[in-house]
Parts: sequence; C-alpha cells; structure tokens
Amino acid sequence: MSILISPNTEVLIQGITGKEGAKAAKAMLDYGTNVVGGVTPNKGGQEVEGKPVFNSIKEALAQLPGANTSAIYVPPFAAKAAILEAIDNNIPLINVIVERIPIKDTAYCLAAAKERGIQIIGPSSLGVMCPGIGRIGVIGGPLELTKQIFQPGSIGIISRSGGMTNEVSWQVRKAGLGQSTAVHVGGDLLMGTTYADLLRLFQKDDQTKAVIIFGEHGGSYEFEIVDIIKNKEFTKPLAIYIGGKFASALPEGMNIGHAGAIVERGRGAAEKEEALQAAGVLIAGHYEQLAELIKPLA
Amino acid sequence: MNLYEWEGKKLFTKHGIATPRGVVVRRGADFAKAYNDLGIKEVVAKAQVLSGKRGKNQGIKFCSSVEEVTRACEELFNTNFRGQYVAALLIEEKLDIAEEHYLSITYDTNKKQPVLIYSRQGGMEIEEVPEAQIEKIGLDIRNANLGVMASPDPSSPQALWQCFLAEDTRLVEINPLVKTRDGRWVAADAKVALDDDAFYRHEEWKQLEPRTMLGRLPTEREVAVRKIDEGENYYRGTAGKYIEMDGDIAILFSGGGASIANMDALIKAGLKPANYTEYSGNPPREKVYQLAKIVLSKPNLKGLWIAGGVANFTNIAETFHGIVDALDEIKPTYPIVVRRAGPYEEEGMRLMRECAERNHLDMKLYGKETSMSETAKILAKAVPVKV
Repeated sequence: MSILISPNTEVLIQGITGKEGAKAAKAMLDYGTNVVGGVTPNKGGQEVEGKPVFNSIKEALAQLPGANTSAIYVPPFAAKAAILEAIDNNIPLINVIVERIPIKDTAYCLAAAKERGIQIIGPSSLGVMCPGIGRIGVIGGPLELTKQIFQPGSIGIISRSGGMTNEVSWQVRKAGLGQSTAVHVGGDLLMGTTYADLLRLFQKDDQTKAVIIFGEHGGSYEFEIVDIIKNKEFTKPLAIYIGGKFASALPEGMNIGHAGAIVERGRGAAEKEEALQAAGVLIAGHYEQLAELIKPLA
Repeated sequence: MNLYEWEGKKLFTKHGIATPRGVVVRRGADFAKAYNDLGIKEVVAKAQVLSGKRGKNQGIKFCSSVEEVTRACEELFNTNFRGQYVAALLIEEKLDIAEEHYLSITYDTNKKQPVLIYSRQGGMEIEEVPEAQIEKIGLDIRNANLGVMASPDPSSPQALWQCFLAEDTRLVEINPLVKTRDGRWVAADAKVALDDDAFYRHEEWKQLEPRTMLGRLPTEREVAVRKIDEGENYYRGTAGKYIEMDGDIAILFSGGGASIANMDALIKAGLKPANYTEYSGNPPREKVYQLAKIVLSKPNLKGLWIAGGVANFTNIAETFHGIVDALDEIKPTYPIVVRRAGPYEEEGMRLMRECAERNHLDMKLYGKETSMSETAKILAKAVPVKV
C-alpha cells in the first residue's frame, strides 16, 4: 500500500476554473486519480475536464459525499478562506499548493486544522505521488515524464523542494528502485505535515522498506525525526540530505535578534546532522548519494 | 524584510509601547542641529544596522555635549560593523536604567504557532542566560488576547502581541526592555522582521527604503531583479531572486531546493558564484528573459551554469526561451553548461542548441541522465584556471 492516497481517494479541487487548477485537474485525471469535481465561488454549474464545478464545498459535498481530499489552487490572498472552508467542511486531507501565503494565515489554518484532526500538506506543496495508484497535485509533471520517473517500489520519499521530489525520485529509479509514496511537504517555515508525521505513516506502510528525505536548513523539524527514532515510532532505514550549507558562507546578517537562537538553543544547524547521525540516520554529502546510501537497505 | 531600530520603534509607539525620545540623522546631516533640536543633554547615538550584536561592536556611544555628539556621529558613520552598512544614526535620550529585561515574539516551528519569550535578564548577554531564567509561552494566533502573564511590566507583552499580529511580523523583539529608576517601562531597542508575503495588505511598506539582508545596500542589479516579480501577477512564478556575490560564475538555477543543492555543489567543485539566482513555479518567458539579462550583465564573468532538477510543471521550453532571448542579445564567450529536464524539455533543449549554433556559443547541454553535481564538475573543467 501507499500512504495518504488510496483507491478510495476522491479529490475536490478548490480553484479548479483557474489556469493552474485546471492544469492540476488534468494531471491528476491523466494519472488515474479520482477527481470528482471542483469549487470556485460564482462559477457553479460549469465543467472542467468533464468534472462539475460548485460554488462552495458545502454544495459540492451535497452531490459528492465521498469527496475526502481537497487540493487548493487559489491566489495567496484567497488561501486562508479556501483552507478554512475545507476545514469547516471536515475534509480530512488538504493539499495546499499555494505559495507565498502570509505566515500568519498559515499559522491560523494549521491551528484550526489541528483542532479538527485534519491533515494539511503544505503550503507551497506540489502534492503527493503514489506510483500506480494516483497523485494529488501536479507532482511528476506530464504523464510521459511521470512514467519515466515513478514506478511502484519500496522507497518512501519526502522533500522540502518540489523539483527535488522529482529529481530524487529519478535518482531512486535510476538506481533500479521504485517509490511507495513521494511527498512534497513544501518549503515554508511552517509545515502542515512534517517529516515526523510522514515517517510515522511510512512506518505503518508495509510497502515502504526505507525512506529518503531531501531537507533544507530552517526550522528544527529534523529533531522530531531524532525523537521518533529514539522512541521507536520509526525503525526503518532513513537517509537524509540537508541542503543549504553554502548559506553559512553568506555574510552575517541573515538573522535578526536573539529570538531564533533562543528558540533553537542547542538545536541549530550544527547540532542537526550530529543528532541525526547519532540516531543512526544515513547522511548524504550531496543529494545524488541518497539513492546510493539507501539501495542496499531497500 | 528586517526593519531598522528606528522603524521598529515607530511601530512600537503605534501600539502603545513607550520608546525613548529621539531623532534619526542621516549621513552628512547637521548633527549639532539635530542634537540641539532634540533638547536633551544626556543622549546615546546608535548606529542603525540590520542585524544584532551592535552593542558588542562599539555601535553605541554616550554623549553629553554638542562636541561629543558631533564626534560620535562622525565616528559611527565611518565604522564598519562586520561589513554592515550604517544607514543612519538614532540619537535618543539616555535612559536612567534600573533593570534590563527581555521580551520577544516569534514563530516556533515545532508548535507551528507564535511563542512569547521573556526573561528578567535582558541585555547583550541574553543568549548566555540559563534556560531556567527564560520563559517561553506558546501563543495561539487566533487569540488576540494574551491573557494573564507573569511579567512585571503590565502592558508591554499585550501591546507587543498586538503589534506582532497587526503588522504581519515574523519577529518582534525588545532587548532590553528597560525599567527606569522612576518606574517607567521603555523599549530601549527594537528588532522587527516583517513577513514579505503579506506585502499586499500593507501599502505603507512601499515607503520603506530598499535594503538587503546582507548588511549592505542592494546593488543596482538586485534592485532591478526585485522589480520583475512586482505587479498583480506577483505570485505567477517567481523570477525575482538575485543576490550578488563576489565570484565569476553566473548562475541561473530553477527550483528552490535544487538551487540550494547546486550552490553547495558549485562551491565543492571549486567555482565561485557571481550571484545566487533562482526562478521557480513556471514563470513566463518575459520574466525569465529579464532575469537572465540582468544576471549576464555582471562584468568579468568566466562561466554560466544553467541548472535545475527534473521539473514537475515548469515549462522548460518557455523558461529556456526567456534565457535564449537574453543569450541572443549578450552572446557570451565564456563556457556555458546547461542541465535540466521536465515538461517540454526537448523543445527547450532545441531552442538552446539553435541559439548556441547561431551565436557560436561554447555551450554543453545535459538532461536528467547526468546529475546536477556532475555538470558542476564539467563546468569547472571548462572554465580557464586563473594564472
């Protein structure tokens, strides 16, 4: 099996009548994902890719009660309202592709989602790919390219970067392996679904034998990985690359004030790799090593 | 965007946090007149720079006469604070300090909510204060009311929380939060970082003067690139990221994650970047053209690396067309290495190949079979070694 997507997944696209929303509808349908409809205020009654458009999620759910996933394609200034609408209607899984959402809006939505036990992937997430089952979002790209890169297999993939989700998946494929699920968690400071959240899901997934992470500096999400390895919530092989070492070569001044240093005290960039290594995580010096490191363990 | 102290203090004042009386002076201003107009004898002159540790680097001078102020101002404008540009000075009343506390609000990535940080041991050594003497209180962004807090200063925490929310900040910090001998609470310093993504609901941010996070004024190219992503379609693909650096290898990267990995690979291959540049999210040809033209306008370049991963939905033909437009104009003579894959890659590569042929460019093209790091090494071999 895979994580996050199953044959029962029914996707609504919020913002389906926009250029990117329509493109995403096509990408998902091409790959066999069950897109059941879309939502755009004041455009109810239209069709996109042969799927019905509704004015609101409420209207959509009245006709399509099985919809259990929303993919959000709206401009950043409309994102908060769109995400909250999905939360209010208890859509259990929400993928937010929108980039450049103000962090205050993101924090608001994440707090609301947490209260209802709703999973948000993103913001700034291109989506989730389960080879052979379906995809949420445009991850993988056009069908032909997607088929070259993805095939069902045993490697779980998590990436902070959309492009690198594909690139790392390609390195895995080139190494003769396949993917169980590839997730682009998004590159924002606040992540709806973190590495640790996904590792817990990969742990329960029999198909996944090992996991690869393409990480970036920023935040202290890597320490959650260390914690769940220590308490045995995650026991499968894991390889990680943390990009952005060059940033330390940039002139001083990227950070302001002391608050960051206080929040991350003892949990900064330098301590990250050390703690991960001590927990038995394989550290890749450059991203191409990820597939090499994990291959013997897959 | 980080604010200068005086800008941060203006926001604090707006939300009811007391700040010292003061005046901002620029380079070449009449310092004596500014001091006399302020009308306070005991003052402190403070260099306005964008990152901290100013106090530890002699960026603050106490004065009690016109002569002292004039000398201090001249000295401060001529001092280099770890490479940071001194944009202005703030001359303000010297506080009669009884206690120095610390108060800030920022985002905690693990809780995914803001956190308020408070300590009675404020001041320059705050990062050395033991954990037990620092209070961290998790906040809920949906609740504008802070509630009861064990801070001796009854009003600053709530006012700071209001400021944090209303001004769309990522960080607000008062260090030190001073208790004066006559019992007033005053924000003696201000560190504020705005959330750039919220710019559309803050017309007033347009008035802020340009700056970089690198402690220097933005270069002409940096200012020009930033304009590419302005306007109502600002979120339709990004092509407005450009940091000018000291090296001689021009960079046109696509995708944030790939760009970070590639910067690491470039430096590992022994090359020095002339810039950090990244476009992503399927920007239109015109945006990429403008970006490429500015990247290639830097003098004394020795090579160009155009690199990105296997794109999901960025149109390689469209984005490469923008680069080709710029190459057609500039016709570089140095080696160019391209590595890219994704939608419409064949057409994109064909556009590049034809451009190279008609302009006799020294260009090598690679697809996804060759890894990005390998192409960094290929470029390193092609670039002439310095004698």
